[in-house]
Order: sequence, then structure tokens, then C-alpha cells
Amino acid sequence: MTLLVAKDISVHAGSDRLVDPVSLTLEMGKAVTVLGESGSGKSLLAQAILGTLPKGLDGSGTLTVGGDTFDPARPQGNRVLWGRRIAVLPQEPWLALDPLMRGQQQVAEVHDLVAAASEPAVRAKADLTALGLEAAGDKFPWQLSGGMAQRLAFAAARAGGAAITVADEPTKGLDADRRDDVLALLRKGLEGGGLLTITHDLTLAKGLGGEILVMQGGTVVERGPAARILTAPQHPYTRALIAADPANWPRRVPPSVQPVLVRATDVTVSRAGRTLFRPVGFSLSRGQTLGIFGPSGCGKSSLGNAILGLLPYEGTLWRDPGAPKLGFQKLWQDPPAAFPARITLGQGLDDLIALHRIDRKRVAPLLDRLKLSPSLLTRLPSGVSGGELQRIALLRALLLDPVFLFADEPTSRLDPVTQAETVRLMTEIAAERDMAIVFVSHDRALLHSVSDQMLELSAQ
Amino acid sequence: MNTALNTIAFRLMQAAGVALVVGVMSFLMMQAMPGDMAFRIAAARYGYDLVNADLANAVRAELGLDAGPVTQFLHWMGGLARLDLGQSLVSGQPVWDEITHQLGASLQLALAAIVLSLLIGPPLGICAGLHAGGRFDRALLVVAASFRAVPQFLLGLLLIILLAVQMRLLPAAGHGSLAHFVLPALTLALGLAAASARITRDAMAGVAASPLYAFARAKGLSDGEVLRRHGLRNIGAPVVTYLGLQFVLLVEGVVVVETIFGWPGIGHALIHAVFHRDVPMVQGTALVMGLGFVLLNAIIDLIVRRIDPRGVQS
Repeated sequence: MTLLVAKDISVHAGSDRLVDPVSLTLEMGKAVTVLGESGSGKSLLAQAILGTLPKGLDGSGTLTVGGDTFDPARPQGNRVLWGRRIAVLPQEPWLALDPLMRGQQQVAEVHDLVAAASEPAVRAKADLTALGLEAAGDKFPWQLSGGMAQRLAFAAARAGGAAITVADEPTKGLDADRRDDVLALLRKGLEGGGLLTITHDLTLAKGLGGEILVMQGGTVVERGPAARILTAPQHPYTRALIAADPANWPRRVPPSVQPVLVRATDVTVSRAGRTLFRPVGFSLSRGQTLGIFGPSGCGKSSLGNAILGLLPYEGTLWRDPGAPKLGFQKLWQDPPAAFPARITLGQGLDDLIALHRIDRKRVAPLLDRLKLSPSLLTRLPSGVSGGELQRIALLRALLLDPVFLFADEPTSRLDPVTQAETVRLMTEIAAERDMAIVFVSHDRALLHSVSDQMLELSAQ
Repeated sequence: MNTALNTIAFRLMQAAGVALVVGVMSFLMMQAMPGDMAFRIAAARYGYDLVNADLANAVRAELGLDAGPVTQFLHWMGGLARLDLGQSLVSGQPVWDEITHQLGASLQLALAAIVLSLLIGPPLGICAGLHAGGRFDRALLVVAASFRAVPQFLLGLLLIILLAVQMRLLPAAGHGSLAHFVLPALTLALGLAAASARITRDAMAGVAASPLYAFARAKGLSDGEVLRRHGLRNIGAPVVTYLGLQFVLLVEGVVVVETIFGWPGIGHALIHAVFHRDVPMVQGTALVMGLGFVLLNAIIDLIVRRIDPRGVQS
């Protein structure tokens, strides 16, 4: 059964076309997934269908939902679809739920006011029970875990009886376990309904199956059944996107045996009187990469900072006393936060060069090695892309001749293709310089392909 | 429950602190005023035309004003410890009787002003906040800023000239009938509403732009339902907190407005007590207002905790 037909949907900003005409059809029980990087126009496409385009952007084309026709150019008319025929999953459930209303009420009000169903409280309770949320009914959203909030938002979004579910980047910033939860929820949405998912997450797309549309620069460059697109991509961009998935990266070649740089025995870190993780031990040699994995908040970053000597720790931590004082460096998770916003990148490097009396001639070859244009240095941090900024952060660390680099989720804010390129450069340079890396990530596949050894932290 | 008890205990301590500070400050300020205290009191009792040095000396002897400020202050504090605010130096009546007599009239006026300001301010603020940046929002900013900037005595006089003198719709001053309420209450309410409209507008604009508002609409709720069920709930805490703080504006306004409109309330009495150097009256009145502020904020605290339980149970 056909639930929704979107024909020639495009998005304009004045006379600029941001999304070229796209047509798609949602069938009962079949997933449609739009894959692409940020800026590819995939979210705009979803917003044009929903009628939630930001001010200044106009949609066009035709939209048919269950026999009724809607005009994307007049988004006000789409409002009747919300909740009743199309359930919209929020990107960040914690922020989307009302913090001052108890869980069950947030679902019950939809049964009551949108679906006009009898006994809304009983129905809401049944919804929550079906999702394993019995305990959440009397709680406020801020008392729930991220996963519970996600399920509560799912129940609230679908309580109006909509057969179609639209999810825009539902796994953004989630670790692997939470991503599996979301996948299970979306599959639930597919039972007796249609699903449109916007994502850059290949694992999610693979799990959902159905049809995949690959978007780049506002155009669908390739589309087809998920199995075909993910295994035999035709378009070069799709190939790059799939090659960028950490699960498809080439296996790492173990480095030659080198002297030990850091040795930890029964090390743990406490914050505010609470021990963050069970004591761990490892031995890291020059040229090696140690991957640290664990759920959010388990102390991955704290362990890295303890190795750098930035945090107090318990246990024994030995650092090679022969290593230079500035030899232990760090790459931050959020590149814009690691640069002063109002100083040009070149000025920042100049200050570093003056402070440590570094030979200025070393900058040009490093720029070249990191595939950075020298003209970028005249700009402010806000004027370059996230990938470029992270490579400049790497350059900044390399000027100090580090023997050790703590990379704290250095690519979690980058698009997949950029992530793959950044990580490849980082590991190549580490091999050239016999630099040891501690790589923190919530992406197990990524760690598997970059690390010589893995450390999985578990809460105390 | 424990936290509620803690709050009450904290507020009681605060009340004791306020009583001490208000007592000391009002006493010091009265002492610092120029002129002969006995002469002023005598003038208040017998009239400026009749007063002379003999009468002033008689008053001085009667009230023991020669005893010095420290003795007088200790005497007042001792009385306060026995919950006795002392006697008015002018009328000889117990201060507590005078205050309760006038407080009723002031509370009526304050209540009328608050109700009126709540009918004007928050609704306008919500309307502007829902369409932040729109024409109405910008117009409200100008109007609210103007009403906040105009001092209340000027606003009161303008209203008298306009509505009482020119249009002859309402009495300019006095107390007794419902018509007498309108001008003083409106003068107070316009200032209060101007401030509460701005606070409500900012809170509403923030909530309306938040993901929770977008999600509530995406769930299928109509704009009215989203506002009633999620909007009001989420602007509740900041707006109610601010209404508590407005009590300061209200007290300030009551003093000025009662004087202009000849309203026989506590503000009016305070002004007269200051002129007549009636120290126990000034101290008693300031104390009642100060403790009223503490009590009101304790109540507001409990209401806000009820609206927004975050940070109480975690």
C-alpha cells in the first residue's frame, strides 16, 4: 500500500536552488533512507515534505498523502499531517520532551487531543509498557536516561496514530549501543507503517534496508535497493561514502617493536569522590595506537588527561623520563572550541612559534603534508571547515615534536568522508614520526581499524 | 518534604536578619535627619501655627528624647523582642494598631493593582513572545520601556489631568467608593505591567523557539494547545519568580501613589511619620513591609518548586 508520494520536491532560497527535484514514494512496511553529508540538502528535503523549512526557503513540487494532495510551497497546509499521518521523531529527545511534564502525560495528551481517543491515560500506559518504559510514566524527562527519553519521545510522536514516521539524523552523536536502540525503534515504526530516515550513518541505513537515496550538493546522485547500493555502489561519491565507513577501512599494519613510552598499572581516575572506571593497565610503545572505548561518561577523556598529567589519578603511571617536556600533546573533540574565535589561525601559529622558538620554515612542509592551503591561515577559525580546523590543530601539535598524542574523539563532529581522510593522515604521520596515539572514540569499528590494542572501560 | 522545611527555616533566619537591618537602618536614617525632633513632633500634635519652644520641651520631657539615641534604640529592640512595636510619638496609639488600620487600605490598593497588571502585562508579553521580532513585539518594547521610564508620580499626575480633570470620568483623589480605586490602581498597574510584560515576553520567546515547542507541534497539538499545555508551564517559573521581585516596585509605588491620591494607606502613613519624626512608626512600617517581602518570597519559592521540580529531586 502506498502511504506517501512526493513528486519533484525541490527547495529554493530566492533564485538559488538548494535541492534539485526529488521524487520518492513511501510504502507500507518499507524503509526509505536518504544518505548524505551535512550540506547535501538531505534535511532540507525532509523539511520540505514536512512543511518545516526555515524562513526564507521555499519548497515546490507535489505531495500526496493517502489520497490528499498538499503543496510544499504552502507549508501551513501540511500542519494537518503532523501527528495524525506523519510522526516526526525529534533529533535530541532530551531537549524535545517537556521537562516539566511527567512522561505518561506527554503521551496521553496526544491520545487525548490529537487522536481524540477514549481513555488516553490507559492507552499511554500501554504504549510505555510496550517499549519497556513502565517506570518512566511518573518521571520527568530529566530523570530518564538518554535511551529512555528516546523511547518516550518515540511513543509521544506516534501516539496520534500516524502511519508514516520521519526521522532526521536520529543517531547523531550517539554511541553504538544507543544507535542499536534507535534502529530497533525505527524498525518498530516500520511495522504497519512507512519510514523516511535522513542520516549519514551507514550502519543505520544497512539495518533499515529498503530503498536508499544518496544525496550530494542538493542532488540525488544514486538511488536503489539498500543491498545493492551498500555492496555495489556505482557513483564515485557513493563509493567514497561507503569506503569512509570505519568498518570498511583497511586493516592496520602493526608497527615494528619500539621502546615503551607509557606504562599503566591499576590506573583509575576519581571525579568528585567517585571512581569513574575499574582500574586498567596497559603498556604503550612509540608508534603504537591504543584505542579507548566505552559508553559516554565512563571516564575515557579523564583517563587520557591523566596520561597527559592534567588530572590526578590512582595507581601507577610510568612515562618515559627521556621524553621531551612538551612531547605529550592533545587533539580536542570540538575543533572550534580549541581555537580562540577572534584570532586568525596564522596569528595563533605565530604566537606558538615565538613562544617556543620554533623554526618558522617547518610550517610550510607541514601544511603541504596535511593537504592544507597556506591561505587558510589568514582566516578566523569560523572561516574554515571542521575537517580543515582539526588538521590545523594537528599541525599545531606537530610543531612541538610530540612523542605522544591524546586524540579525544577527534573526528566525532566530522562527516564520514572527512573523518576517514583526517584519521588516515593522522595515522600516517604517527607512523612516520614514531608517535604513540591514544585514540578515544564511541565508534567501535573505527577503533578496531586504527588501534594496535583496545581498552574497554567499564563503569565502577 | 525536607527541602520545603529547609526553605522555611532559611526564610525564618532571613526574616530575623531583615528585622534587625530594617530596624537599625531606619533608626539611623531618622537620627541623621536635620531639625529638632521634639519640635517636629510637637508641630505634628498641635499644628505648625501653635507650636513653640515650651510645647517642644514638654514633648521632649514626656517622650524622654533626652535619653539619647542608643537608649531609645535599645528600648525599641526590647519591645520588638516582646512583639511590641511601641507607641506612635505623635498620636500615642500603639504602632501595631495604626499599621493594621492602614495596612488594610494599602493591601486593597496593592491587590487591585496586581490583578490589573496581571491582566495587562503577561498576556501582552506572551503575545509578543510568540511572534518575537514582529511588529507587535517591537511596538511593545517601546511602550513598555516608556511606561517603565516614566516615574509613578508623573504617571499619576498625567492620569489625573487626563481622566479626572479633562474628561471628568473619575475622582482625582479620595477613598471609599469603587471609582476611587481606578486611578491609583491603574497608575501602579501600568508600571508593574510594563516590567512583567518584558519578562514574560523574553521567557515566551525562549520557549517558543525551543525544541520542546517544535516537538509539541509535531505531535499534532494545535498552537493553542501547545501554548496552554507546554508554553505556560515552561514560562511559569521565571514569570512567577519575577512577580515576587515586583513587590519591591509595588512598595515603592504604594508610597508615592498613596500620597498623590490621598489614599489612607501604609505608604501615606509612612511619609507622614517621616515628616513628623515618628521614629517607632517609621521603624514599624518599614519592618512590616520588609517582613512582608520575606513572606511573599517564601511563598513564591514554594510555588516555583511546585511548577519546576528540577534541582529539588534528582
